Amino acid sequence: MAERDLADRLDEIVDAVIARGDATAALRDPELAPMARLAAALRDYPSPEFKATLRLQFQRRTTMTAVTMTAVREGFTTVTPYIRVREAGLADFLVRVFDAQETFSGRGGDGGMHREVRVGDSMIMIGEGGAGRTGIMPIRPVACHVFVKDVDATFARALAAGAASLGEPEDRHYGERAGFVADPFGNRWYIATPTRPDSLASALRTVTPVLHSRDASAYLTFLERALGAVVELRTDVDGPLRYARLRIGDAAIEVSEGDPMPGSFMLYVNDPDERYGHALAAGASSVMALADQPYGRVGGVQDVAGNQWFFSRPAPARS
Amino acid sequence: MAQSTEDDRLLIEAARADPARFVDVYERYVDRIYAFVSRRTGNRAAAEDITSQVFERALAAVGQFEWRGVPVSAWLFRIAAHALADYWRERARDAHEAPADVPDSRELEAIDQRIALYRSVERLPDLQRRVIEMRFVEEKSIREVAAVLDRSEGAVKQLQLRALQNLRKSMGGHG
Repeated sequence: MAERDLADRLDEIVDAVIARGDATAALRDPELAPMARLAAALRDYPSPEFKATLRLQFQRRTTMTAVTMTAVREGFTTVTPYIRVREAGLADFLVRVFDAQETFSGRGGDGGMHREVRVGDSMIMIGEGGAGRTGIMPIRPVACHVFVKDVDATFARALAAGAASLGEPEDRHYGERAGFVADPFGNRWYIATPTRPDSLASALRTVTPVLHSRDASAYLTFLERALGAVVELRTDVDGPLRYARLRIGDAAIEVSEGDPMPGSFMLYVNDPDERYGHALAAGASSVMALADQPYGRVGGVQDVAGNQWFFSRPAPARS
Repeated sequence: MAQSTEDDRLLIEAARADPARFVDVYERYVDRIYAFVSRRTGNRAAAEDITSQVFERALAAVGQFEWRGVPVSAWLFRIAAHALADYWRERARDAHEAPADVPDSRELEAIDQRIALYRSVERLPDLQRRVIEMRFVEEKSIREVAAVLDRSEGAVKQLQLRALQNLRKSMGGHG
């Protein structure tokens, strides 16, 4: 057979393979069958552009993570929730339920107490009392995802400490056994124990803030621009966004569709002035002008969803 | 295609100490993971999406990875199996729990053959490789490929034939 005919016949087979994944017509032809099988396998050939782009993403992300981590206050991670409550009791609740360790307690700027507790590898800042003053940070409940060794035992301790159940512990399809509670101040704690090695726990710290938004997809774009957050996981491949995980330096935040529960967060960054500027440019409004404080340079904004972000570069540690 | 366990150990230790070295893990295993998920989904967009999820999850978990002599590929296949199970679950709301099964020895052999084919494509002469990529990845017609390469359609068909003949030779009957 002339080579030109062979090339034409092979091309017809390749067309059928590309269009329908069908190489059966060629399989009876001993001359073309082996090449038809190869053509069918080549439909899976990975796009060199896809591989290169993904490689670049990992390269950029891992380099960025290393850079952002340099300015974090010792013992802290990039993102720390700051929870204000009307009266004392939240720190004690966290100690009782999550075995939190109090690392600092002192008089706060609003006349109440400023307390810092460690839960596993994460820190939480608490403003207790000071109810008579307005303060920059509103008193309002937040939502956090917390990983524990035994969700059932922790859940029971939470109820005993005065929390209300929002959902009994159950095995969830996303690789966790999880139960949900609201503490006596209304803060929601999504308590979980991983059931799979690749559960979300592997990508998250002990405590991760969960931001609920009614238009989560648009909010992600804002977080990327304003905070320099990197979206690591999103579940809207072909539907509305229900969940996303974003990395900010060495910590993460989670975003899920739902009624907003805005909170206040400390963000340790290398350059607070730059980040503050980006956040304003992305549509946030200022709640605290940039200034040098005894504990470092800090400025705060409130975003479109009502969350407050305080960008801070910690003062050098005194030895 | 099996990598030595010592190589694996060094690779993981380097990535744990310096996240920037995770790219080496990606480089070494992206084709295996892609071949696995692509065989299971038969859909290029889904295979790309799931492959990137697998490496994202692996990057997030590498700090906690404890070296116990289990090959890195086995760890990545497990993550991929769970990502595939999530993928199928999202597509069939009423479906029962999708099985998160890792490849058995037969599937591993098929994956290795697929990777041998990828490598053979990479070794093709430049023009032949470009034709394969444009036809099978970009799904361009012969006419479109001819326009890009500034060749006649007949010449492109000849290049395609030569490429497949060369691949057949280098694969030694597998494929």
